[in-house]
Amino acid sequence: MTATTPHASAATGTAARSPAPVPAGGSDPVPELVRRLDELAVAGGPFSAEALGALDAREGFPAEACRALDEFGLPRYYVPVEHGGALDDFSTVMRLLRAVSRVDLTVAAAHGKTYLGAVSTWIAGAPDRATWLGRRIAEGAVVSCALTERHHGSDLLAGEVTAREADGGAGWRVTGEKWLINNITRADLVTVLARTDPAGGPRGFSLFLVDKSRLTSEQLNPLPKVPTYGIRGADISGMEFHDVRVPSDALIGEAGRGVEIILKALHLTRTGCVAMSLGAGDHALSLAARFTTTATTDDGTSISELPHVRRELGAAMAGLLLAEATGLVAVRAVHALTAEMSVVSAVAKAYVPAQVDDLVARLLHSLGPYGLLDADGHGRFAKLERDHRIIGIFDGSSLVNRNALIDQFARLSRGYRTGRQDEEGLDEATDLGARLRPFDPRALSLLSGTGASVVAGLPAAVDRVHDLAVTEAASDRLATLAERLRRATDRLHEEMAAVRFPPRAVPGHAFELAERYELCFAAAAALHLWLRRRDGLDEAWLRGCLVTALTELGEPVGETEREDLDILADALLSARPGTVPSLLDSLEGTVR
Amino acid sequence: MPESDVEIHSAQSLVRWLTECVAMHLARPADTIDASVPLSDYGLDSVYALSVIAELEDHLDVSLDPAIMWDNPTIDALSKALAEELALNG
Repeated sequence: MTATTPHASAATGTAARSPAPVPAGGSDPVPELVRRLDELAVAGGPFSAEALGALDAREGFPAEACRALDEFGLPRYYVPVEHGGALDDFSTVMRLLRAVSRVDLTVAAAHGKTYLGAVSTWIAGAPDRATWLGRRIAEGAVVSCALTERHHGSDLLAGEVTAREADGGAGWRVTGEKWLINNITRADLVTVLARTDPAGGPRGFSLFLVDKSRLTSEQLNPLPKVPTYGIRGADISGMEFHDVRVPSDALIGEAGRGVEIILKALHLTRTGCVAMSLGAGDHALSLAARFTTTATTDDGTSISELPHVRRELGAAMAGLLLAEATGLVAVRAVHALTAEMSVVSAVAKAYVPAQVDDLVARLLHSLGPYGLLDADGHGRFAKLERDHRIIGIFDGSSLVNRNALIDQFARLSRGYRTGRQDEEGLDEATDLGARLRPFDPRALSLLSGTGASVVAGLPAAVDRVHDLAVTEAASDRLATLAERLRRATDRLHEEMAAVRFPPRAVPGHAFELAERYELCFAAAAALHLWLRRRDGLDEAWLRGCLVTALTELGEPVGETEREDLDILADALLSARPGTVPSLLDSLEGTVR
Repeated sequence: MPESDVEIHSAQSLVRWLTECVAMHLARPADTIDASVPLSDYGLDSVYALSVIAELEDHLDVSLDPAIMWDNPTIDALSKALAEELALNG
């Protein structure tokens, strides 16, 4: 099963360009979903703040809202076109889930989970099983994915749920308990990771697609819903499997390949989680903009005119744009830089939720008690603050993802030093007008062969900014910021190269380096997007992103440079009510 | 890192290189590593093993399926599998 090929030399050339970023499947479903969500958010509707707030207060599952998404046809976007669905562009699913998350994270987490439930079958299952599952999802089936267990957390290789081949080879028998699983009680189907070799190890586990509707209550025992800090209405529970007999075709891919399949599947779902964070960030900023423009100080001044509030809003806006740049490039990389997803997904999943948690905390600080009480009548800000905390934990916590980056430090620093990159893939991933190649799951790899083209391509991108500054197509200020980013990134890679550690003894400071790596990736993503923009676009947003990244990298940033953040605050405060400036608006020229 | 000075990689030369590489990661003398013992017995876990593969790829200038280490858990088995792959593709 091992493929050995010489390293391909870095490909050159530009990606095929299409005039407009319309999904290959036809019309763009996102504006239609946004319209539908607006209709459903009117008083009494399933997406109204009062209905969702009331469900949250009594920890009730948002069933009506999920049903409305089913009626819209959202599940089709969880099923690849080759298996009968509408998924041919991961950036479309990301925008759809972001739109749902902008309204409510409990609904997004409950509905979007079906993709995680199904993805192992998409990338490793037999074609007829994938088609069958696609049909079930189109009919409304909820699919869950059961990896974790009560005593093992993120350590999948310690799993105790066991599957033994039934006598005579007629299927498998699954026994044990899975716990802290989103949707496992309400799901119709569950993908289960089970130990198939008593000795365990990376080849000792297999994945099974278990059809709950075919099982009796003696075989399955759902465990009580666990009360949670946020997404209180979600079905976070567990399941006991009592010698459950599943047919041979329940096995996903080959026996013993479960860990490999799920690690690759997580490259996709970790990237998808970004959608939920970006939606929550949009929601937080729009609530903050509304509150600060309507509330006044004692002498009648709008709060939004207070310099320190304006600066905080601008910094939060820059944080969201950096997170968005990372998310957009990461989701396009699923198609264009598939083999690098072990790095890209770890960066996206560690960085974007943390960045959004930070901006929510920053806004809460500025809004003071009003953020929790008066910003709106239904406690929406406080709810999203609680709801969003879980996103950093879903599908691998920030620690797990940073550890995955640290394991690749040696390769990443070598690749950066030599400039090793996939130029064609980088161009496609960072040019929002370029048509994305179809996603090929066979190109997923546990380890990125090239490293990370987004970061390795930074020095060339900075050179390009210097060239543009000569002809005044870029400001000297931008060129200075970009140059400082390059130097900080150079120094970081030298520090990464010096990290050496024995197995299971990752030094603490390596995690700090991983955080800085994420910032360099985010800033590089923003720079690449700006360089490949299609039309005249004010560079202030990019300067704001670089100022924020450099500040967080610990680089000195002057007051004049920080004034770019005020430009971003003005963009936020002058946006149409209920909307937040987005790179998609600027770069695609469309309203989300 | 041990230097790459051989163009043709025999199973034997790979055993030597891998033993030194693993010894360096485990911070122990190479002569205490038994090539027939599963690497996990030395505490080299499945995820960490992937970074050894990264070095191996750069040493041999080839790209490998990182899971090759999971299918061949000892230095002996891995060297044999690699030598066969290299002969096939060389």
